[in-house]
Amino acid sequence: MMAHPVPHHTTDKKRVKVYELRNNDWFDRGTGFCTAQFVPVQENQPKEPRVIVESEDHPDRLLLETKIVKDDGFQKQQDTLIVWTENNVDMALSFQEAEGCAMIWKFIDGVQQTFHNVLGGADDSLSEDLTMDMSNSTFTLPPADLANLPDLENIMRQMSNTANGREMLVKSIMEHDIIPSLGNLVEMAEDLESLDDLFRLCNMTKTMLLLNDTAIIEKAVSDECVLGVVGALEYDPDFPKHKANHRQWLSNQTRFKEVVKIEDDTIRRKIQQTFRLLYLKDVVLARILDDPTFSVLNSLIFFNQVDIINHIQTNGGFLNDLFSIFADPSAQHLRKKQAVTFLHDCCAIAKNLQPPARQNLYTNFLGHGLVRVINFGLCDHDVTVRVHATDILVAMIDHDPQMVRHTIYRQLQERQKPLTDVIIDLLLVEVDLGVKSQMQDALRILLDVAPIMPPDAREYPPNQQRLRQLQSIDPQQELLIQHFYENSAARLFKPLLDLEGQTELKFQPMQEYIFGYLNDILCSFIRQHQHRAKYFLITHSLAQRFVQLLSCKQKHLQLVAIRFIKQLVLMNDEFYMKHIAEKQILGPILDVLLRAITRDNLLCSACLDLFVLINKENVKDLIKHLVENYREKIMALSHMDTFREMVSRYDQTEGYTTNPEYFMDEDEDEGPTAAESERRPTRPTSGLMEEQLTVDQAQEEYWNGVSDEEDEGPQNDSHRTNGTATTLPLLKPLVEYGSDEEDGVAGDEATAPAKKDDEDNSAKSNGEPPVTPTKGGPAAAAAVVATPPERISEKRRREEDEDDDAFDKLLQSKRRGSNASAASAGADIRKKMGISEDDGPAAEGATIEDNGTSTADRTSPNPASPLAAATAVTTSLSTPKKIAFNISSKVKSMLGGGGGGKPSEPEADPGTTTTSANDKAQETSITMGATTALGKENVRIGQREGEEEEKKETSKSVVQEVEEEEEEEDPNAMKD
Amino acid sequence: MSDLDRAIAQLRACRPIPESDVRELCHKAREILIEEGNVVTVNAPVTICGDIHGQFHDLMELFRVGGDPPDTNYLFMGDFVDRGFYSLETFLLLLCLKVRYPDRMTLIRGNHESRQITTVYGFYDECYRKYGSANVWRYCCDVFDYLALGAIVLGASNTISPSAGESSIPTTPEGDEVEIEVCNAQGEVMSRFPRPNNGADSDVQSRTNGIPPPSNTGPPGSGASGLSRGSVGNPAGAVLCVHGGLSPLIDKVDKIRLLDRKQEVPHEGAMCDLLWSDPDEIDGWGLSPRGAGFLFGADIVKVFNHRNDLSLIARAHQLVMEGFKEMFDASIVTVWSAPNYCYRCGNVAALLELSEDDSGLGVLARSNGDVNRSNGGAGSSGGLGEGELQPMKGPARRYRVFQAAPQDSRGMPAKKPVADYFL
Repeated sequence: MMAHPVPHHTTDKKRVKVYELRNNDWFDRGTGFCTAQFVPVQENQPKEPRVIVESEDHPDRLLLETKIVKDDGFQKQQDTLIVWTENNVDMALSFQEAEGCAMIWKFIDGVQQTFHNVLGGADDSLSEDLTMDMSNSTFTLPPADLANLPDLENIMRQMSNTANGREMLVKSIMEHDIIPSLGNLVEMAEDLESLDDLFRLCNMTKTMLLLNDTAIIEKAVSDECVLGVVGALEYDPDFPKHKANHRQWLSNQTRFKEVVKIEDDTIRRKIQQTFRLLYLKDVVLARILDDPTFSVLNSLIFFNQVDIINHIQTNGGFLNDLFSIFADPSAQHLRKKQAVTFLHDCCAIAKNLQPPARQNLYTNFLGHGLVRVINFGLCDHDVTVRVHATDILVAMIDHDPQMVRHTIYRQLQERQKPLTDVIIDLLLVEVDLGVKSQMQDALRILLDVAPIMPPDAREYPPNQQRLRQLQSIDPQQELLIQHFYENSAARLFKPLLDLEGQTELKFQPMQEYIFGYLNDILCSFIRQHQHRAKYFLITHSLAQRFVQLLSCKQKHLQLVAIRFIKQLVLMNDEFYMKHIAEKQILGPILDVLLRAITRDNLLCSACLDLFVLINKENVKDLIKHLVENYREKIMALSHMDTFREMVSRYDQTEGYTTNPEYFMDEDEDEGPTAAESERRPTRPTSGLMEEQLTVDQAQEEYWNGVSDEEDEGPQNDSHRTNGTATTLPLLKPLVEYGSDEEDGVAGDEATAPAKKDDEDNSAKSNGEPPVTPTKGGPAAAAAVVATPPERISEKRRREEDEDDDAFDKLLQSKRRGSNASAASAGADIRKKMGISEDDGPAAEGATIEDNGTSTADRTSPNPASPLAAATAVTTSLSTPKKIAFNISSKVKSMLGGGGGGKPSEPEADPGTTTTSANDKAQETSITMGATTALGKENVRIGQREGEEEEKKETSKSVVQEVEEEEEEEDPNAMKD
Repeated sequence: MSDLDRAIAQLRACRPIPESDVRELCHKAREILIEEGNVVTVNAPVTICGDIHGQFHDLMELFRVGGDPPDTNYLFMGDFVDRGFYSLETFLLLLCLKVRYPDRMTLIRGNHESRQITTVYGFYDECYRKYGSANVWRYCCDVFDYLALGAIVLGASNTISPSAGESSIPTTPEGDEVEIEVCNAQGEVMSRFPRPNNGADSDVQSRTNGIPPPSNTGPPGSGASGLSRGSVGNPAGAVLCVHGGLSPLIDKVDKIRLLDRKQEVPHEGAMCDLLWSDPDEIDGWGLSPRGAGFLFGADIVKVFNHRNDLSLIARAHQLVMEGFKEMFDASIVTVWSAPNYCYRCGNVAALLELSEDDSGLGVLARSNGDVNRSNGGAGSSGGLGEGELQPMKGPARRYRVFQAAPQDSRGMPAKKPVADYFL
């Protein structure tokens, strides 16, 4: 007896448990691997069909070897069970996978059917087929001629159903030279106009190709066979009325172009073979390809391409000939175009190669003068050449932008026109939008100073990240950017700059696109190139140019302008905010909004998005600017929360001129920041409102002496403060970074003396050591204490989550209490301001002692404050809800992500209890419902673990596979 | 015959139109779409369709079953492209119809209408294959950015309209009012479900115990969602259509209107959630196995519907073998319109018909632009008693279920081979 009668792949083995019924109980005989096959028992005897199970632990031991006899009554139960009776003992095989069970069952069933057939006296051809199919003996295919086609087709179809059959089929197809004979057969059948035979030939060919065997496919695309193969495939029985013309297409040898003669025959043959493989894959078999054949085709193509590329790039003579075409003034234009296309094809193939191989190829190309080729291609008047040159360039940038930057740097050293300038020229005049947009991308990436960050990080660049970028700029890159701003930037943005002075904006359709691209580029520069971008923006008044676009009638251009302004606001940079305010940029946007508001269109949403952002980020400079200058317009929009909030925010902080911190800083000029940072955290979190936004930056800027509202030097500041304080009492202070808390309560105190004490101010303005304002001091101190330091990025996250809701609610309750329209509420607020100025000290005390009450007091100026206070409590309680939610999602992710996690509750408990204590708070408790359900949730997740896990596994492993719920579509995964 | 009609005819024959025509079409489409709000208001009668996924011949089948545009008013809930072999023809045809009949076609954005996703799931490759360059893909992606994010259907009737050949409003065999009717592709009624009687009330009460109602005083300016009950007199309540589902950041429909939608679908945030989320049998919000968007439970849907005066949310995004699936006491329905998805899933497809309410009661459009409508609507806010979370009476729904188009109507998908080759 042999342990391994027939060699088989491990994948053929089906993992299985063998059971035997003993005393009405299924006894486990062990786990092993099951095979079913014909086994030679004795010489010269027919082989016997057997089911064999080898033990998993001891591969030599057989757990089961049973002959398939017709009386045993094999049965398949469910999907994974086969049961039968052997020597009066009930036996069972329990398969791990249904698929394995099905395969073994197919064999058993086939054998059993032959028994029945023999019994029934039917012809035994089927059983013979089956024997051939399963047995190891060689079998012979009938000779390939038209008469045998039905048999051939039948046999092939049957054999291709099993793994063993396929193996043998491959062998005999190759032995019998079936493939080379196809050509003749097709021609004969065509001569006879025998459509049936042609269909048969097509089916046979499909079967053979789908056998998924490298040798067969290679044979099929060989010079002598390929026409026969595709000829047969021209007659597809699925489309009985159609005939393809593959032969005509492939037999046209002139399709293969050689710009420079490829001397090596094998390589030339490989190129042609690859073309045929691609044709087979993309055209002929596109509809019927299964995954295994698809990958076999792909890997054949891949290995050919590796060889081809390798041959080209190691062949110095070839490359010299190729690149010298571009240096040769006498060379025909067509030849140059073809050379570009050749290089384009090389680069397209290179995309699939391993990075080192790709690197070699590009370095090699660059060494031979690829840049000249790109220059030539980009300037060519034939659009396909430009497209190809663009593709080459983009492929290189995609591979390694640094490599291209080095090249440009070298160009600069050698005083050549840098590639970036060529790109700019093309971007401005190109009519092919595809090329245009790729130029835009290329330019952006080449002038990028840092590795590209994920998009969301780019949207909100935290300060630190920006700093790090600044430090790590490579000097070469620095030079490149310097050159860009000195020489090229003005040319690039010329279409924008040309807008200056134009009143009627009319564009050709093609011209319009450029503004979108310039906007994208400029936005990316603003994010990347700090001071250079700022300087450029200011000197060329680019923001005003964008504003001009708001007046043109094309809505998408108006959108471009709005997006640009949004980018400036997103930067959250004091400098830009001032610029926006100073140049009155938001006014025109308000006008656009007012025009669009009744329409509810994209323009309207985009404007609202911008103002919501300003309000949410609480960009004070802008809110102040907006309310001061456009109060009427804002009030007209005050039926929306955002605008109402803006007005009330402004009104709450109105009426005092100087920021308390201003005094603080003057106070201790040895090290104010350090002193403050020590003191600030002492106060517990107050942060219901988001006031602390620009504190850090503001200080920085102040101490750097940058913060000047207009173009005056810092030394003039306090003069102006003075002026405004005396002449325009309603105007806001010069520096106004403090929080509402300070402003609303303590701030009043601080500013009142500031107004009175002219002496103090003038002392400051003369540059003398600052004098502590007598009354302002303690108030300011309290205010500073009241401001916890917070990173903007962290803040932002929380604001989005809850603070907004909180504010909504406060506003709601306020309205409920006052029952006044927004406008009169504004008046109320102003009136209240007067009052609070009077009882300042009391309010101040409240601020320090009781955070909660003061918050309520501040945000709802209406005296009906019990209600407001209650709401304030409610809102402060909404924090635990969020925590609870976070925890619950964390627990879930643990369970889900780990797959095998057990329900764990303790973490969630605090959240649950905290919230349930306050279940009268309306909004809170809705989410709380979710929180208390957490325990339940966990249990449920535990139960669902099985399915979930299964889903997850598939979603990870099988990317291409279609899933019922498309779970594999994970955009995060696509980031890579 | 105008250029547009010619393009429609050519696309209906499943033949792509030239690149320059695509550019012009996209240009026109942009002009139209830019005028649409993030949430488009659509009046019943309307036929709501789910994912199509480039199954052009099945789209033709859909038009056969649901009626040809512009005779039927269609609302497609995104995912026109990817997976199928004819994403290009499918999307361009829908876009042509949109440009030709702007008021009879509504297209909203699905998660597949995105640059990132289409580069992976087929649309990019298809465009490259059919045109030899990615320009057409770029044009289409630009249009994707302009597509609306959702739609509100107003004026749907809560009684089912008589189907062809019937003269009176159909009833169930017991004589009850019909809420749901399911028809096959030939228009024959397969089943009818009566509207549950008032017994539902107590049901609702017990179900929602412990969940206090949301504030009845919505802030002004959020009119539709606050107290205005923007669809005063609309017997069936509004239907929100969105591709994926709800977002924790969106508690009111009006919040959707505040998004600047002209951008690539982000990886997180409200816009992402609307296109990626799924309803699930959970409480509250859950992490989505898709890696984007969230899972949301029945409580979320009920609160949202109540707060926004919605009777139903229609969405797509998930394959359902039966073509449609109502969840959470019919407060949300998934509609799937790609039969035999990916040519191998074996599912049937469905479309959802909402008929017009002919009672003549007014329909109010909702938008940010309606100044003071919150006050105007205040009077009607007493309709719901405090402490109850009673779902609006849902519109009567007719589902037409259909199967994949027969095989022989399909052409042969293939890449246009390159004319000349160098390598």
